[in-house]
Amino acid sequence: MKRPGDEDIMTLHRYASDGRILPRMSLRNRIAFYYTITTALLMAVVFAAILFSIDRIVYLHFDQDLRHEVSEILQEVRLNGKLFSGFEGICELESSDEKSPGIQSSIVRLSVESGFIQLVDPSGQVVSKSINLDRNVLAFNSTYSGVRYFNSTVGRVPVRQVQVPLINKTGTVEAWLIVAIPTRNVMLVLVELKNIMLISFPVIILLLFILTRAIAGRSIRPVDDVIAIAETMTQASLDQRISLPRKHDELYRLSFTINALLDQLQDAFQREKHFTSDASHELRTPLAVVKGTLDVLIRKPRPVEHYEEKIRYCLDELNRMARLIDQLLILARYDQESIKPKTAPIEISSVVESVIARMEQMAGEKQISFVRGNFDPGMVSADLAMLEMIFENIFTNAIKFSHAGSSIEIEVARRTALMVCTITDHGVGIPEEKLQHVFDRFYRVDESRGSSTGGFGLGLSIVRKLADLQQIGVSVTSRENEGTAFRLVFQVA
Amino acid sequence: MRLLVIEDEAGIARFLKEGLEEECYAVDVAFDGKKGLDLALINDYDLIMVDWMIPGISGIEVCRQIRKAGNEVPILFLTAKDTLEDLVFGLDSGANDYIKKPFEFDELLARIRVQLRRSNQDGEALSAGSLTINTVSHQIFFGSTEIALTPKEFALLEYLVRNKNRACSRSRIIEHVWDMQFYSDTSVIDVYINFLRKKLEQAGCCNLIQTIRGVGYIIREFHPGSE
Repeated sequence: MKRPGDEDIMTLHRYASDGRILPRMSLRNRIAFYYTITTALLMAVVFAAILFSIDRIVYLHFDQDLRHEVSEILQEVRLNGKLFSGFEGICELESSDEKSPGIQSSIVRLSVESGFIQLVDPSGQVVSKSINLDRNVLAFNSTYSGVRYFNSTVGRVPVRQVQVPLINKTGTVEAWLIVAIPTRNVMLVLVELKNIMLISFPVIILLLFILTRAIAGRSIRPVDDVIAIAETMTQASLDQRISLPRKHDELYRLSFTINALLDQLQDAFQREKHFTSDASHELRTPLAVVKGTLDVLIRKPRPVEHYEEKIRYCLDELNRMARLIDQLLILARYDQESIKPKTAPIEISSVVESVIARMEQMAGEKQISFVRGNFDPGMVSADLAMLEMIFENIFTNAIKFSHAGSSIEIEVARRTALMVCTITDHGVGIPEEKLQHVFDRFYRVDESRGSSTGGFGLGLSIVRKLADLQQIGVSVTSRENEGTAFRLVFQVA
Repeated sequence: MRLLVIEDEAGIARFLKEGLEEECYAVDVAFDGKKGLDLALINDYDLIMVDWMIPGISGIEVCRQIRKAGNEVPILFLTAKDTLEDLVFGLDSGANDYIKKPFEFDELLARIRVQLRRSNQDGEALSAGSLTINTVSHQIFFGSTEIALTPKEFALLEYLVRNKNRACSRSRIIEHVWDMQFYSDTSVIDVYINFLRKKLEQAGCCNLIQTIRGVGYIIREFHPGSE
């Protein structure tokens, strides 16, 4: 049973397994997106650090000023006639015998630049304060012991203030001195800075995204070209190529590789097309001959001999066609990679001998004799049926193109780990420029598709195919009007 | 009607020649492009059939050369290829029509007749006076009586009727009715004209073929008013 929500999970899973968080985003957007996210995070950290340290520095300065103020003030403050000095751990300097109830003080300087001063007794009662405080009172926190800096407000004015205990010789706190400096201006600057950063942050990020997107788009434009060309490419228009970028970078290599791939593809298509066209021509021609001959034959009554002649002629044509179909089937069968040669150790000389025996009759018709050279013993690993077919095709070819009455020389030689079999005929030979094509399908050296040799141009391509399947090397050398030599190179089993 | 077949496949050339001759055409055969082109340019053929894949000069080239020489003879190409490109390419090279191998012989005959009809601009039926010729069934009628003729006689009469009211020289007649093997001897025409005249007279059709002394023969079609 499928539960609701399963699909969502599967979708998520699919994206996760694809490694695609943003499945529909183009590459260029993705580059810009990731770049922007990274930069945004970095910028946030940097901005926070800047704000934090400015904050710290500002308060440090305030605190320094406060300390300065406090030490200034202390020189002038008389508390119960005592003069306090120092800063941390303020203590009584001068003692006075003068005892009076309550705290008596004199704050000589009632205003400190733009700051506020206030004296508080240990119970929190304001003893004295600077005039500029007016009716306001500086905040006092009785829970603090010792010097303490903190933020506060006077009226509505933000201040940085310090609370200093005034300690007498006995070690008891006689009073608290509180000094405050308004921080408004600096705070405004700080807030302003924060605001600027907060506003500029998204703007910068947005600009950055747009810019990186544009730059990414520019730098991957060759990829778009590749896509555009690949999209327009069909089997018929395989001759298009991607123009190579000037810089030898990754995109150059990509384009270059795709072009090379296209070359191969086009080549394969071309060969396929040629093969199909040739095969259809070769099959249709005998069919047309038979059909045409019979068509004409049946139009009128004719003497018996005439019928016999035409029927015999048609049978010949049909046999020829059957041979062609056989050869095409062999090629088609071995073109499928699924068929593997059944290799076994084979004595090569014995295979050659048995094929020669079968070929004697065909050779005899042209008074061609087989001349055996060296037959070194040696086992090779091959498929017997395929190997026989290879030799049959080469011998047939040799007989076909030999001069009547000439000889065909066969030699099997051992060269360390290799067995080399050479079949040399003395016949018409193959012109040098045509030599490279002799293994091509339907290729005939003599272009007139005459019935003089009766071949289809498939025999040697079958040889090549079967040899390739068994890792047998095939090569051909030839001299026009002298003869042709085929060489088969086997690995010793 | 004289045809040229340019075809290297001996089997096809053979049945084409035999079959077409039975249909009263004179047929010359060339086995390669060069020979074919030479014949096409020297002789005055009524139609040329070219195979596409022939040794020497290709069928396409033969076609082009013939057209280049200003020869408007109908060209029919025979092809075993059947891709659209090949067919379009062939037609664009100057061929009038094509037929794919293997083909029906009757279809080939019909296509040949279409081309001959076009080149003669004669319309469907051939006639001269009360004489009518059916080129499909190879029958000749004078009024309603059928006249039985041998293929050669038929071809001769057909040629004269196709060219009625035009003087046909012996050499032109021999070019269009006989193939190359009879080239030298034009007196064979006089013999066949005699045969024809006799058979026509037996059917009651007199003085159809007139002799133009020193030139050849003519069939004059009289307008009904002047008869």
